Amino acid sequence: MSLFSIDVGSQLVDLGSALLLLTCFAIVAQRRLSACVDLFVLQSVFLALTASLVAFLTGIHHIYVAAALTIVVKAVIIPRILKQVIEHVNVKRELEMNVNVPTGLLICGALVILAFFITQPIIPLGFLLTRDSLAIALAIVLIGFFMMIARKKAVTQVIGFLVMENGLFLGATAAAYGMPLIVELGVFFDLLVGTLIIGIYSHRLQDAFDSVDTSKLTTLKE
Amino acid sequence: MTVLLVGLLAIYMAGIILPPCFPGRPRIQNLVAHGLATGAGLVGIVLGLAGLLVPEPWTVSAESTIPFLSFAIRLDPLASFFVLTISLVGLAASIFALGYVTEFYGRSSIAAMGSLFNGFLLSMTLVVMADNGFLFLIVWELMALLSYFLVVTEHEKAEVRYAGLFYLIMAHVGTAFIVLTFLIFFQEAGSFSFEAFRHPEQPLPEGMRTLAFLMALVGFGAKAGIVPLHVWLPYAHPAAPSHISALMSGVMIKTAIYALLRVYFDFLGGQFPWWWGFVVLLVGTTSALLGVMYALMENDLKRLLAFSSVENVGIILLGIGAGMIFQSYGLKEFAALGLLAGLYHTINHAMFKGLLFMGAGSLLYAAHTRNMEEYGGLLRRMPWTGLFFLVGAVSISALPLANGFVSEWLVFQTLFLSLKLPALFLKLMLPIAAALLALTGVLALVCFAKAFGMSFLALPRSSHARHAKEVPIAMRIGMGFLAVWCVGLGLAPMIVVPLLNRITGPLTGVSISDKVLALDGWALAPVNVQFSSISPPMLAAMLIACGLLGLFLAFMFGGRLVTRSHKTWGCGINLSSRTEYTATGFVQPIKRVFSTIYQPTVKLETEFLEESRYFAKRRRFEFHIEPVFQKYLYDPLVDFFVGMADRLRILQAGSLHLYLAYIFVTLVVLLLFAV
Repeated sequence: MSLFSIDVGSQLVDLGSALLLLTCFAIVAQRRLSACVDLFVLQSVFLALTASLVAFLTGIHHIYVAAALTIVVKAVIIPRILKQVIEHVNVKRELEMNVNVPTGLLICGALVILAFFITQPIIPLGFLLTRDSLAIALAIVLIGFFMMIARKKAVTQVIGFLVMENGLFLGATAAAYGMPLIVELGVFFDLLVGTLIIGIYSHRLQDAFDSVDTSKLTTLKE
Repeated sequence: MTVLLVGLLAIYMAGIILPPCFPGRPRIQNLVAHGLATGAGLVGIVLGLAGLLVPEPWTVSAESTIPFLSFAIRLDPLASFFVLTISLVGLAASIFALGYVTEFYGRSSIAAMGSLFNGFLLSMTLVVMADNGFLFLIVWELMALLSYFLVVTEHEKAEVRYAGLFYLIMAHVGTAFIVLTFLIFFQEAGSFSFEAFRHPEQPLPEGMRTLAFLMALVGFGAKAGIVPLHVWLPYAHPAAPSHISALMSGVMIKTAIYALLRVYFDFLGGQFPWWWGFVVLLVGTTSALLGVMYALMENDLKRLLAFSSVENVGIILLGIGAGMIFQSYGLKEFAALGLLAGLYHTINHAMFKGLLFMGAGSLLYAAHTRNMEEYGGLLRRMPWTGLFFLVGAVSISALPLANGFVSEWLVFQTLFLSLKLPALFLKLMLPIAAALLALTGVLALVCFAKAFGMSFLALPRSSHARHAKEVPIAMRIGMGFLAVWCVGLGLAPMIVVPLLNRITGPLTGVSISDKVLALDGWALAPVNVQFSSISPPMLAAMLIACGLLGLFLAFMFGGRLVTRSHKTWGCGINLSSRTEYTATGFVQPIKRVFSTIYQPTVKLETEFLEESRYFAKRRRFEFHIEPVFQKYLYDPLVDFFVGMADRLRILQAGSLHLYLAYIFVTLVVLLLFAV
């Protein structure tokens, strides 16, 4: 604690959050799938660093555990599953999108403004040193959601989903210094299982339609 | 009491769990499931009687971690009475099932049937014992679902699936209204416990009370089968295996009667304007009359019985409705009499309708058809079934010596007491209801004369009937048990009335058993002995004595009996089953008289011989009656909803991205609203 004053700590947390947001934009701008996964790894590492920083500043130890789990699950295991899926379905680049990259980036910018606008009345009510990150967390959630809508391939949709989860994690850390450890554990487990299922499902999708384009699922309608 | 309750729950649970433990051995599954259900029935009878006899309501409850839910059980006289009724029919149905389900070996899963059967009985028992709104809704829903699965036992048939779906939808429409009823009570009570419903912190406003009354009538009425919510009965009850039909028609629809009494007299404290009772009376009269009229036209024995259940629910509601009218004018003794009559008819109907459905099941078991036109002459081949069916038919037609007579007589007496009412309108309306009830009674008599006559008398009309054999002993015991009760309840009102008085006492605040029972209990006299009274046991004794006297006289003065065995004279032609009355023909006059209601379509096509138009080669006769309620009420409703759904399908484009976009837009809009 003696190294940093509270002010400096708060600034550092904001910096970490900003880096997270930046990686979000990078993911939205990126067309190559494997690069998307790499960027997601980077984002998760930033998230883990930010969380550890919060843990260090506040002295709440269970956030360390959550940060370690973030590294293990989101930076190691899930990327490996996703890379395998990409290998299997043999799709390297995403060429068609529902919204093209420049428009997408503009919409994301608008979403960030929206997030700041929404959280503006709430933030002054908080007293935690992480409170400013709440707006960024909400922005990340919205951008993750937007990615799921904008992209057509199952793999990028999974990444959008995972980005959303990162945003939620940041939000929980920002608003309440993290959720109880048992909840975090449950969330990580869900995430892992979810990714596994979506991975298997992408394989099946590839086998059935020769593509992982989820808009092809429209044909399942009666 | 605790021991009995725990025992009851434990046996039913064992009956649910154990049958699937013997895979591939239907005989053992059958024995285990229905044997345990029989045991539980016995325990239930004792529990019900104990609950009726203890002076104070017996309660037990366990809290749960789910908000608003507590596993509270309360056995007051009203609940105990229904526990008793359910257990009696449940016991008979279990014994009957031991024989009946042998028919299903190799076709359906006996383990599933047995487990569901036990679960169904358990859920019904819990419905009447529940003392918490949440618990009530859970077991009520469980009852609906389990009975749905039992209805679709023979799901390979399309009409069974249709019946199941119809039932499921109607049951859930009803449940929706019940939920609303309970929410109205919850608003003022702040808790789902029935105790809080009874004594809310603030009394419900008048509008809310009226709303609760109507919601409960629709919600529980859908289960009880009041007109026009009765349409599912003639589909679902025949589709189920017969021992299930006996339970559904005999007892399940009575749980709705229980709930109506509970809501009106317990939660709403028996304080209501006169028109509530009048509405119930109106619904009862309509149901009774239309129920029996449609029953009359049915040639499918089980559908006939299902329609007849609509009629009997109507009679029960007549008693209750009259009671409610008297209650709102402060004539408590008459109110108690109305309720007593309604409750008496409730247990009676449970007994004879259970019996008749089992009889129909026996006929189905022996002749493999439900169509009465293919029965005939079965009395000679199935004497025991015939006897029991006759007892049931006599009871349901309200003929003396059996139970239906006593309770219907009491309903009549209640209605005639309207001359004590201050309002002229009601003074007129109640006797009109009594007149319509009389009409109902006559039509019911015709209906069951037809049911018994067409099935058991004359010559067999098909090879099925010719090859029918008497059913296994277990099925006969099941029917015999209920037949004994039918007669017993009719002969011993002096035992039944004081027991029922224990229920109506707390509900209306007065005890009437001393007044109703005259001459040390040997006679029933609702007002006083001079005005009208009747003594069922004496009547029975006299009837039997007259019969014996006739025999005696014939024996004394008739000379020696000469036995001559010869064919019935048939104007010189050989009598065959083609010369018999058909079931359709039997009710033809009534169909003509009430053609406004039936709106029959008759089609007669004749194909003549080419040589001469005076000789018909073939005749084809078609006859339908218009299902008025389905055509003018339900079909437009269904069309409306299907049309709406078609239009809403535009939203359901099948695109994952579109769905995600829906969620996203909703989220953003909500967030913006929150700012």
